[in-house]
Amino acid sequence: MASIELTDLTKRFDDVTAVDGIDLEARDGEFLVVVGPSGCGKSTTLRCIAGLESPTAGTVRIGDEDVTAQEPHERDIAMVFQNYALYPHMTAERNMTFGMRSATDFSSAEIDRRVAQAAATLGIDDLLDRKPSALSGGEQQRVALGRAIVRDPAVFLMDEPLSNLDAKLRVQMRTELSRLHEELGTTTVYVTHDQTEAMTLGDRVVVMNDGRIQQVDTPQELYDYPSNRFVAEFIGDPAMNMLEVTLEAGSSDPIVRHEAFTIEVPNAPETEALDGGRAVLGFRPEDASIADRGTSPTGSVPDRRRTGRGDSERTTGPIEATVQVTEPLGDTLLCYCRAGDDEFKVQTAPRTGRAAGDAVTLTLDADRLHLFDLETGEAIYHSDTDRERRAATPEP
Amino acid sequence: MSRHSNTNANANASTSANASTGGESRRFPIDLERGLPALDGATLRAHAGLLLAVSLMALPLVIAALISFGTRATFTSVSELSLETAAQNYHDVLFRYDMGQYMLNSLLMSVIVVIGKLAVSLLAALAIVYYRFPFKNAVFGVVLLTLMLPVPVRIVPLFQLAADLGWANSFAALTIPYLASATTVFLLRQHFLSIPASLVESAKLDGVGPLRFLAFVLIPMSKGMIAGVSVIMFIYSWNQYLWPLLIVDDQSMQVAQVGIRLLQGVVESGDIAWPLMMAGSIVTLVPPLAVLIIFRKPLLETFGVE
Repeated sequence: MASIELTDLTKRFDDVTAVDGIDLEARDGEFLVVVGPSGCGKSTTLRCIAGLESPTAGTVRIGDEDVTAQEPHERDIAMVFQNYALYPHMTAERNMTFGMRSATDFSSAEIDRRVAQAAATLGIDDLLDRKPSALSGGEQQRVALGRAIVRDPAVFLMDEPLSNLDAKLRVQMRTELSRLHEELGTTTVYVTHDQTEAMTLGDRVVVMNDGRIQQVDTPQELYDYPSNRFVAEFIGDPAMNMLEVTLEAGSSDPIVRHEAFTIEVPNAPETEALDGGRAVLGFRPEDASIADRGTSPTGSVPDRRRTGRGDSERTTGPIEATVQVTEPLGDTLLCYCRAGDDEFKVQTAPRTGRAAGDAVTLTLDADRLHLFDLETGEAIYHSDTDRERRAATPEP
Repeated sequence: MSRHSNTNANANASTSANASTGGESRRFPIDLERGLPALDGATLRAHAGLLLAVSLMALPLVIAALISFGTRATFTSVSELSLETAAQNYHDVLFRYDMGQYMLNSLLMSVIVVIGKLAVSLLAALAIVYYRFPFKNAVFGVVLLTLMLPVPVRIVPLFQLAADLGWANSFAALTIPYLASATTVFLLRQHFLSIPASLVESAKLDGVGPLRFLAFVLIPMSKGMIAGVSVIMFIYSWNQYLWPLLIVDDQSMQVAQVGIRLLQGVVESGDIAWPLMMAGSIVTLVPPLAVLIIFRKPLLETFGVE
């Protein structure tokens, strides 16, 4: 086991900067997920850690050692590839042992013991004699994992290992990866473009875009306190709604004015300079509720998210909107609503019979509002103030 | 029932006839329900065309074979052919006129050339695909450029060089000029490029060295391609004529293709001994034909036919 430390890591390919001076640390035993859209530099970062790419600038440290100039095999790492990278003409067992027999001085008995152990851990005992062509995608991925495990490396590097699996298998393998990490406790850097994978697997998640790190945080912190628009829109599905608004000083709380509505934002930012300024209001589809006309705006819709958040029942609104399209997802109904010229999504309870054309009144969870700078996209303000309190309590 | 067995016999006859015309994967379409081959105009025309093409191509060979069974340069009737004459002709060609020795030389030369070419080309393709070195593409371009300079074009300087090195009448002279092959490098390069990069990277992470990777991963994964290009190289080498003719003047070192030419010198009753020449041609044909038949499958795969 070891920690990984990247300092000012930069990788340029000709005139394209894939990784632009990032600093990152993966702690000892941590499951660190790097997530971002394709071309954001996440794979390049991983390949720099592996030594498959040599960085243009910056250093890579594994454990206490500067490995920037070391060959991949000197770094005591194992990598799992998206396409498994199994040798098609070798059996699963030979695939797992080929590297070890080629380049290490482990005894045959030791290698056999490790293979047996890895096979038992992964449940592939019966598959060891088969060639990759006789294995399903999930089984091939298990063998590829087995190949990484038998080497008992200091660090696991995984490059979108689940992307080639079908949706159901992916969820299953995701759980298994979590279990495996629990069992082995090896420092893991995991690259994916799938934010669900990132949220479910990562102890901490690194969000990357355009070769830069946008935010590094625990999954819940990323979701609750995105540090900029990119993170806010990337994390969470369906994505966060973004509406352009004007900030104004209100009687008690500041007011956010949109062409179609005006709402108060509690726990105001003190920045007076924002008065009259333009900003972007962000709220998640699951933090908006449709209030039936004539009834109290609060509590009309069973709210799944508030469980565990206790006292927070404050809402703000109302917003008058028209339903444009509905998407029934089974557990929820996703409504595409329009207010003024802007469209946004609202996740509501299913079986409410909402249909396109309905006029609805919406309320927003007053503790789940975000404001972003119009120009830079940086977060100006999150209405939730528990952050400090929560940061102090240990993660589950 | 009898009708069915009858059609089966028919079917067998037509498949074997079909196989002999070269289409091994195409089965004659047979409809067992009706018990009659399903024939339509297009199939018939296609088969007639194939038959015509094969006959035309086989004709010289058939004539050569027939002449080698007789005593004269012309073939007039089947009654003139006898197995005894044929046996005598082939025996004379192989042992009295040394075709056996020439063929042995040819075989040795071809095997050395094939193995040498493979070794050189595999290493070259490995370097071109998996190593980073300056002017890599330019180097590969130069390799391809040599395709424009086949042996006949550079035969005079080559002769000078080989003679200066004292290689005349040696296997060194017969084989070394042929060891580099741009075609093989090119084909292997293309094949290596089709192997996922992650396999190489995985090997790099494991610390598997390049030669071990070549021997245990690349070569096993390229078996079909290697067998295919080997067949082509073998036949190419077997058919060499001009260069051996120039560089070898010791008859015991001569190769089969030149051997046929030497058979022209055998004069019987004031005439070239055509039956012997034809017998020589036919035996010379056998080894490449055997190689072709044995390695038919990988060869077709190499060219993406199958």
